[in-house]
Amino acid sequence: MWTSSLFIRNAVLGASLVLASAVVSAPALAETMPAPSGEVILTVSGAIGTTNGDGVLAFDSDLFATLPQHSFKTGTIWTDGTATYTGVLLRDVLAAAGATGATVKLTALNDYQIRMPAADALGDGPLLANLSDGQRMPLREKGPIWLIYPYDTVAAYRTEQTYARSIWQLNQIEVAD
Amino acid sequence: MMRVSWLPMAMGVLISLAFGTVLVLSWQLRGELRTLQEEPVDSLNWNVTQLELDVVRLESAMSLAVALPGASLTEVRKRFDLFFNRAGTVTQGTMFAQLGLLETVRPLKARMQDFLDRTTPLIDGPDANLRASLPQIVASIGALRQDMRFMSIQVIDMNAALQDIRRAGLADILQMIAIASVALIALLLVLLALVLGLNRQAVRRAQEVQRITSRLEATVGTSLDGVVVAGMDGLVIDFNAAAERIFGYTRAEAVGQSLGALIVPARHRAAHEAGMERMQATGVKHVVDAGRIRISALRKSGEEFPVELSIASNEGPEGMIFIAYLRDISDAQQAEAALVAARDEAQTAEATKTNFIAVMSHEMRTPLNGVIAALEIIGRTGLDAKQTRFLGLARNSSKQLLRHVNDVLDISRIDAGFVAVTEDRLDLPALLATLVDPMRPTASQKDTQVELRLLSDFPPLMGDPFRLGQILQNFISNAIKFTDGGTITIEAEVQMITGDQAEIEFRVIDTGIGIAEADQVRIFDDFVMVDPSYGRTGEGTGLGLAISRRLARAMEGEVGVESASGAGSCFWLRLPLSMAGDVAKARPAPLAEVLQPKSAPPANTAPALDVLVVEDNETNRIVLEEMLRHLGHRTTLAADGGEGVILARARRFDVILMDLSMPLMDGWTAADLIRKEGASAQSSIIAVTAHARPDQMDRFAESGLDSWLAKPLSARDLATALASDRAIRTPAEVAPQLAGKAAPLLDTERLEELATIADPQALGRLLAKFCAQMDSILDRIDAGALTEPMADLASMCHEAAGAAGVIGAMRLNQRLAGMEVACHASDRAVILMGQSDLRHIWRETCKALVQRA
Repeated sequence: MWTSSLFIRNAVLGASLVLASAVVSAPALAETMPAPSGEVILTVSGAIGTTNGDGVLAFDSDLFATLPQHSFKTGTIWTDGTATYTGVLLRDVLAAAGATGATVKLTALNDYQIRMPAADALGDGPLLANLSDGQRMPLREKGPIWLIYPYDTVAAYRTEQTYARSIWQLNQIEVAD
Repeated sequence: MMRVSWLPMAMGVLISLAFGTVLVLSWQLRGELRTLQEEPVDSLNWNVTQLELDVVRLESAMSLAVALPGASLTEVRKRFDLFFNRAGTVTQGTMFAQLGLLETVRPLKARMQDFLDRTTPLIDGPDANLRASLPQIVASIGALRQDMRFMSIQVIDMNAALQDIRRAGLADILQMIAIASVALIALLLVLLALVLGLNRQAVRRAQEVQRITSRLEATVGTSLDGVVVAGMDGLVIDFNAAAERIFGYTRAEAVGQSLGALIVPARHRAAHEAGMERMQATGVKHVVDAGRIRISALRKSGEEFPVELSIASNEGPEGMIFIAYLRDISDAQQAEAALVAARDEAQTAEATKTNFIAVMSHEMRTPLNGVIAALEIIGRTGLDAKQTRFLGLARNSSKQLLRHVNDVLDISRIDAGFVAVTEDRLDLPALLATLVDPMRPTASQKDTQVELRLLSDFPPLMGDPFRLGQILQNFISNAIKFTDGGTITIEAEVQMITGDQAEIEFRVIDTGIGIAEADQVRIFDDFVMVDPSYGRTGEGTGLGLAISRRLARAMEGEVGVESASGAGSCFWLRLPLSMAGDVAKARPAPLAEVLQPKSAPPANTAPALDVLVVEDNETNRIVLEEMLRHLGHRTTLAADGGEGVILARARRFDVILMDLSMPLMDGWTAADLIRKEGASAQSSIIAVTAHARPDQMDRFAESGLDSWLAKPLSARDLATALASDRAIRTPAEVAPQLAGKAAPLLDTERLEELATIADPQALGRLLAKFCAQMDSILDRIDAGALTEPMADLASMCHEAAGAAGVIGAMRLNQRLAGMEVACHASDRAVILMGQSDLRHIWRETCKALVQRA
C-alpha cells in the first residue's frame, strides 16, 4: 500500500514538475496576460495558472502572435501539395497558460474533440498553426487554428492516432488533472 | 567420407536459400506493414461519415432559418463553412490517392462541387437574397444528402474490398515466411544432427590417434636404442628413455635444444652445422637415410663415446623431421678393437715369422753357394779316394741343404706374391721327356720302372715350363722315393678344350706304399711328412707338395691325390693352358699382373732367361735378383768372380750380369775365364759398373764382355739390355767431386722404382741390409782412413759408394765416389776431408730414409 501510493504521488509530481519547468521557461508571460481586444480565436481553460478572463485564457489573433512562433513545411493527407504552416507549439500555449494538468482536451468548432496525455502535448511535433504560407486560414480551409504535425519529416507522425489528433477549426483547450 | 564432404555443402546451400527467402519475405512484410501503418483508412471512413453529418447539420440549420424568418443567419453560414471545409478535405486531400480510391470518389466530388458552386454565391450574398433562396437550397440539400449517402457507402465498400486484398497479400507473405522458417529450422536440425555425427566421428578418431600415440610412445620409450627426434631446424623434438640413459640428459633438458650443441662433439660441430645448412638449402641428405653409420657423440658429462647411428627422415605435419636411432657401442668397439689388435698381433707375428724364414733362407743360401763353389774348386785339386768320398758326401749334403733352403725361400716368395708365371710356347712331349729321362737312373737304382704315356695329341700350348716342370719333378721324385721295385707311370692327357683354352691333366702313378686316406687331405699342407720313420731316411722338408699346390694355384690349376694305403698313389695336376694361335698371344700372368705397379716398366714378354748375377755387394745382388724376378727371369746368384766362373762353367746361362769391381777375382778376369771353357762360354755377358772411365772403355773391346750397364741399374735399362742383348748404355757423365754443389740427399726416383719392383717387406729387408752394410763399411773407413793402404781404402769406398748408389742415397754416393777418386790419386788430405762429415751425411740419409718409410 505504502509503496503504491508513493509511486502514484511520484508520477503526479513528475508530470507537474514537467509542466512547471515549461512555465519557468517563459516567465515574462506568467500571470500577466492582457485581455483580448479582437475576436477570440482560442480559449484555454481548466487547470491553468494564467488567465485573462473568467477563469480562462483567451487569445485573439494579436495576442496569439505574441507567443513564440514556429513553422515547418509539410503536406497532409487532407490537402493537395505542401505548404509552410506557422503558429505556436502546443507546449508553448500550455506553458503560457501555466497548465499543470495531466491530460489535455482539445475541441473544434464542429464539436470534434480529442484527448491526449500532457506528455504527448509537450513534444516537438504538435503545432497550433494559424497561418498557411503566411495567410490566415479561413473557417472553410481548416482555420482559424489547425493542430498539425510535421508528417513529411517525421515518419512516426504518419499514424492513425496522429491523424486523429490533427484537429482543425480548433477553438478550445481544456487542461484537466 | 564422400557422404560427409558433399552433405554439409548441400546443407549450407539449402540453409542459405531458406534464410535468404525468410529475409526477402521479411523485408517485403516490413514494407507492407509500414504502408498499412501509414494508411489513413480510419481518417477516410471518419471524414466520409462526417461529410453526411455536416450536410444534415447544414440542412437542419437552414430548415430552422426558414421556420424563423426573423432569426440570424450566422448559424446557417457557420454550418455552410464547416461543410465547405469538410468537402474540401474530401475533394482536395491525398488520402483517396494513397488508398487507390481516386476514381471511386470522383462522382461524389463532382456532385458536391456542383452543390457548392451553386450555393456559395448565395451564402456569401446579402441576407435578403439568402433568406429568399433558403427553401430552394434546403430542397437541393435533400437531394445531395441522398446522393452522398449512396456514394459514401460505395467508397467505404470499395475501400473495405481493397483492404481485404491487402490483408490477403499480407497473410500470404506471413504464410510464406512461416513455411520458409519451418524449412529453415528443419534444415538447421538436420545440420545439427550432421554436426553431432561429425563430432562423434572426430572424437572417435581423436581417441584412436590417442591410442596409436600412446602405443608409439610406449614403443619408443621402451626401446633399448636411444631415439632422438629433431626438426629441420636442428632442435630436439623428442628424447626417449634410452637416449636419457645414453646421453645423461633428461627429456625435459633435451627437448627444444639444438642437437649440435647437445650431443655432437665440439670438433664435429662445424661439420654438423654445415651439413644441416646444406640440407636445409638443397635438401640433399648425406647421413640421413644412409643406413648405419658409426660416429662420435657427446654425453652430458662431456665424455665422447662412439655410437652406431641410423637416421630416418619423415614428412611430419610441421615439416620434415629426423628420427635418429642410436646405440652406445663403446663396449662393442672396445671388444672389437681388442679383437682387431689380437688379429693384427697374430698377423704381425705370422709376418715376422714368414719374414724371418725368408731372410734366414736367403742368408743361408749365400754361404751355401759359397760352400758348394768351394767344394767344386776343391774337387778339381788332386784328392785321394777317401777325400773324394767325403767330398761327395759334403757336396750331396750341401746341395740337399740348398734345395731345402730354396724350398723354404720359394714358399715365402710365393706367399709374398713374388712368383711370376711366364707364358712360353710349350712342347709338352719334349718337356715331359726332359723331365722324366734324368729321373730314370735314380728310379732304376730302386728297381723301379718309369713309363711316360701321352694319351692325347697335344696342340701347341702356352705356359710356364719351369713351374710346370717343378711340380711334376716333385711328384716324380716323391713317387721314386716311396716306391721300391715297382712302376711309375707318368700320363698326360687333354681333358677338355674350351675356346682357346685347353685343360691338361698330368698324372704320376706309382705302385708304392700309398697314403692313408686320413693323411691325403693334409699332405699338401706345409711341413707335412706323412711317414716320419720313412722321412728320416728319405729326403725332403715336407714342403715339396705345398710348393706344388701353390704353384698350381698361381697358374690357376689344381693338384690332388688318389691313393690307398699299400696300393700306390696317383698324384694329378690339372692345368688350364691357353693354346698358341698363329700369333702367339701371351696370357698375362695373373700374379705378375697383380705385382705390376702402374708406373712400372712393361712386363717382359720375352721368353724367360736363365740369368747369372755375379756381384760382390749383397744389396746389389738382392736388388738385381728382385728386378730379374720381376721381369720374369730365373736368377742364380754368385757372390764373387770365382763362384761366378764355377757356376757359369757348370751350367749354361742365357745371360751373365757381371760386376767389374770385385775382390779376389774381378769381373774382367771372370769374364775371360767363362769365355775360355764351360757351358756358358757362348753366353752373353753384360758388365755392370759404377765406373765410367775411358781407359776402361778401351780395355772393354778386348775383354769377354758383350755390353755393359751403368750402376745404379734401373729396371727399364735392365729389361732393355736383356731384350736387345747388345744395348750399351753410356754411363752418365758423373764426375765425382768432393767440392762443388752437394747432390740431393736421396734420389726419389730411384726409391720409387725400388718400391714398384719389390713389395714393402722386401724393400724393408733391403733397406735394413743396406744400413747394416753401410755401418760396417763406414766403421772400416773410419778406422783405416789414416793407416790403410790406398788400394784397400779405394775398394772400401767403392763398395760403399755402390751400395749407396743402388739405394738412391745420392749425396752419400757422391761423397764416397769422390773419396775413391782421391784414393786412386793417393791424396790422403782429400780423403780425410771427405771422411770428416761422412758420418753426418750417413745419419742424415738414414733419417730421410726413415721418414720416407
